[in-house]
Amino acid sequence: MKGAELASMLNAALGAAGEPEAEVFATFARRGFARFAVSELGQHMQLEEPSVVVRVARDRRVAEASCSELSEHAIADAIRSAARTAPSVPRDEGFPGFARADEPEPPPMARHSARTAAATAEERVELLSPVFSRIRAAGLLATGVLDTTSRVEAVATSHGLTRSHESTLATFKVWALESAGGSGAAGHGMAAHVDLGSLDLEAQTEQAVVDALRGKNAGSLPAGRYDTVLGALALAELVEWLAMIGLGARELEQGLSPLAGRLGQRITADSFDVMEDPLGPHAFAAPFDREGVARRQVPLIRGGIAQGVVHDRATAARAGITSTGNAAAPSAFGGSGPSPSSLVVRGGSAASLDELIGGVDRGLYVRRLHYVNGYLEPRRAVMTGLTRDGTFLIEGGKVTKPIESMRFTDSLLEALERADGMTHSLTVAPNWWSAGGSVAAPAVRIRGLNFSSGSRQK
Amino acid sequence: MAAPAKARDLCSAALRRAQQHPDVSHVEVRWLSEQSERLRVRDGAPDGISSGRSAGFSVRLIAGGAWGFACTAEGSEPAVSRMVSEAVAIARASARLSDRPVRFPARAGEVGEYSTPLEIDPFAVPLETKLADLSTPEAELRRGGAPIHSAEAWMHWTQVDKLLMTSEGTDVSQRLVYGGVGMSAIAVGSDGRMQRRSFPGFPGSEGVQGGYEIVARTGLSAAASRIRAEAIELLGADPCPEGVRDVVLGSNQMALQIHESCGHPTELDRALGAEISLAGGSFLQPSDLGKLRYGSEIVTLTADSIAPTGLGTFGWDDEGLSARKAPLVEGGIFVDYLSSRETAAALGRESTATVRADGWNRVPMIRMVNVSLEPRAGTLEELVADTADGILFDVNQSWSIDDLRLNFQFSCELAWEIKRGKRVRLLRDARYTGMTPRFWQSCDAICGPEEARIWGLMLCGKGDPIQSMAVAHGAPPGRFRQVEVGHT
Repeated sequence: MKGAELASMLNAALGAAGEPEAEVFATFARRGFARFAVSELGQHMQLEEPSVVVRVARDRRVAEASCSELSEHAIADAIRSAARTAPSVPRDEGFPGFARADEPEPPPMARHSARTAAATAEERVELLSPVFSRIRAAGLLATGVLDTTSRVEAVATSHGLTRSHESTLATFKVWALESAGGSGAAGHGMAAHVDLGSLDLEAQTEQAVVDALRGKNAGSLPAGRYDTVLGALALAELVEWLAMIGLGARELEQGLSPLAGRLGQRITADSFDVMEDPLGPHAFAAPFDREGVARRQVPLIRGGIAQGVVHDRATAARAGITSTGNAAAPSAFGGSGPSPSSLVVRGGSAASLDELIGGVDRGLYVRRLHYVNGYLEPRRAVMTGLTRDGTFLIEGGKVTKPIESMRFTDSLLEALERADGMTHSLTVAPNWWSAGGSVAAPAVRIRGLNFSSGSRQK
Repeated sequence: MAAPAKARDLCSAALRRAQQHPDVSHVEVRWLSEQSERLRVRDGAPDGISSGRSAGFSVRLIAGGAWGFACTAEGSEPAVSRMVSEAVAIARASARLSDRPVRFPARAGEVGEYSTPLEIDPFAVPLETKLADLSTPEAELRRGGAPIHSAEAWMHWTQVDKLLMTSEGTDVSQRLVYGGVGMSAIAVGSDGRMQRRSFPGFPGSEGVQGGYEIVARTGLSAAASRIRAEAIELLGADPCPEGVRDVVLGSNQMALQIHESCGHPTELDRALGAEISLAGGSFLQPSDLGKLRYGSEIVTLTADSIAPTGLGTFGWDDEGLSARKAPLVEGGIFVDYLSSRETAAALGRESTATVRADGWNRVPMIRMVNVSLEPRAGTLEELVADTADGILFDVNQSWSIDDLRLNFQFSCELAWEIKRGKRVRLLRDARYTGMTPRFWQSCDAICGPEEARIWGLMLCGKGDPIQSMAVAHGAPPGRFRQVEVGHT
């Protein structure tokens, strides 16, 4: 299905339902998803993900309905269903209305690859075959995913706004494991790109193999503060949690955000910048949100100073500003408040990860984190989590030996105050809970990161 | 509840189509239709009043010795035929990477129907009634204003109709109805510190299988003034002292403790390495079966898909096996896994019938059912009275556990310091941490059935792409000796 075709269907449904104040957002994704574990391709799937969400307002009484059938008839029925519900809903005095035709046009974004869209089961197997061979040859077990997704999305409102967008995303995640079940050494590689042909599976596989081999026979360390180099994927996960607890307008309104009551004030290191940047080269998001509003750059924290949060039309109206284009698409895991789609942390001056490691006399290099949680004390951005897929002791500026998983518990904003180096280059990590969402981050060196418990034992 | 004739006809057509391929050795065709409703009131205004429907078909089959899966939302014979062709093509392609064919144990099919028992159909209750049932307690949470900064109340309802037909002759139809209602208040002090209190448990733990009768039983309005008062009191509370203390877990936190430190590590697909790409592995390895001391002798944990009102209750799992109850940990010893037919066969065991998919377009996989701690005797107050120096934790605030499910750290909204058998003061920002087997081995008291409650966790994430499953835990309060505690 093409974007224009989907948009035309939405407008036809709006016309058939005849509601004067209505909005329809629809997506359709086809995903070729090859999930392998312990060197077996056990879950290879062709997935369809259709979704239609309509909102109808009558006298500022707003109701929402959704369906999975992409047809004019089914969408018009969903609009009528929401219209029947709306009169029973209390008035929302702050309802700003749905977007109008004169809403600024989003910039054009080419985020579609014919090769990714056309990828077949045979092609995915073809690409994975050398991955399996390399990992087997190293005496390790291959686990991971090769996902080729093509997506079309469209928005239309009864006020004449129409938007559509076609995109693709190819994602490769690979683990090389010393043993099944996750005990023993593990190495990890990850890459994501619009174009399947631009994924470097070989390099990521090699990274996973190297880390798994050097991760064997891990030792242990006691709890304590360690100078720590967090890999880009580790920092990306922490920033994703920062977004969840604090970079959306809802969390600011509820008083949960570390930015609440502190806009314009310094809340972390002056070297720390994070922005919503859906227009840049590190993003995968559509150029508009579910309300049809154009996405744009939004400074969130600049020079350590809290600049603002992202908004949808409702929260923006309450704040007396315009939407930043961050209305969230419905998700089983996400709240309904606005959230960033494409976060970018500004890099530093370090030319490489090794340069950061070289500045640590005795400490840790942590490639990835696991099960981070940022709800401990959201106003201070206190987070906890475990290290995973590569934790190494640094001695005399060099990685010397592997260490078992450790738990950190620290305030992200306070830890960044102790950061004294970041890589210039960024790594982009798509998130697993929203279509097109991502965080691009550098590796960072933090002095005295608090590890609250040492290595694990049964 | 019989599936609609059209869905049945299309499942039959897909099954026939798949069986025409000579290299297809096993076929499962599913139809699933989900109806849902979500309502939320926040700070005196509606905040998302939505309803939804989603329906479609899927096929999982073995062709050429490998698995293939495909799905479609389109309810037509050409669409389901195309779906079957895609699944066969995927399986054949995957077979090229396989060293050995899938070993899927054959068994006789089962036929039948199952429906959730319910008193009041939640989808027949007027919206005005539902909104009033939320607005009244939400307003009570905000009564008096500051330091209450924000309050919300919510409810959600889901009805799942599904049909499974297989090449073994299985033909089972099910209707599952479940929902829940909850509320939270957020207090912010003059120093900027924030505290949240939620009811009946942590948000997302309120799910129960049943109808609208759940709302009256939960009793939001009766609890609202207490919840508001506790949120305010916590602002002035001392932080939980650092140290090693006896810990009593209330029922709601016990449910989360079971979920993270027993439910997930007993998933056999995790133990065999199939879930590394999102969730991780497990410290419970097959060689530990029947040997590893998971907990003290009073700890017995079960996989139960027959418990009334549990979100993990059903007639048959998504591989066509009937519901059952079996021990995972018995007298403290690890004795079985949550398993599927394929993974159980790999260990020479019978499946514990725990396979489910969260929708029509997702592959079925091992999921928790009602993973429950068997009650012993006594009330919570008797347990508190028997504790000389401890902390009672309840209502989870944050959760984190490592990829093998060993090292955990949980913080809770509520922490009561216990001195000489009495609750003496509330503590704020309290956390406890431990290693799973050592923690459960320190369990020396478990309350009786009168204190055990089934908590339904609505959003258990697993799989890749992520699947969100409704699971449950029967959870009596219990006591654990000498646990590391502190504040965040």
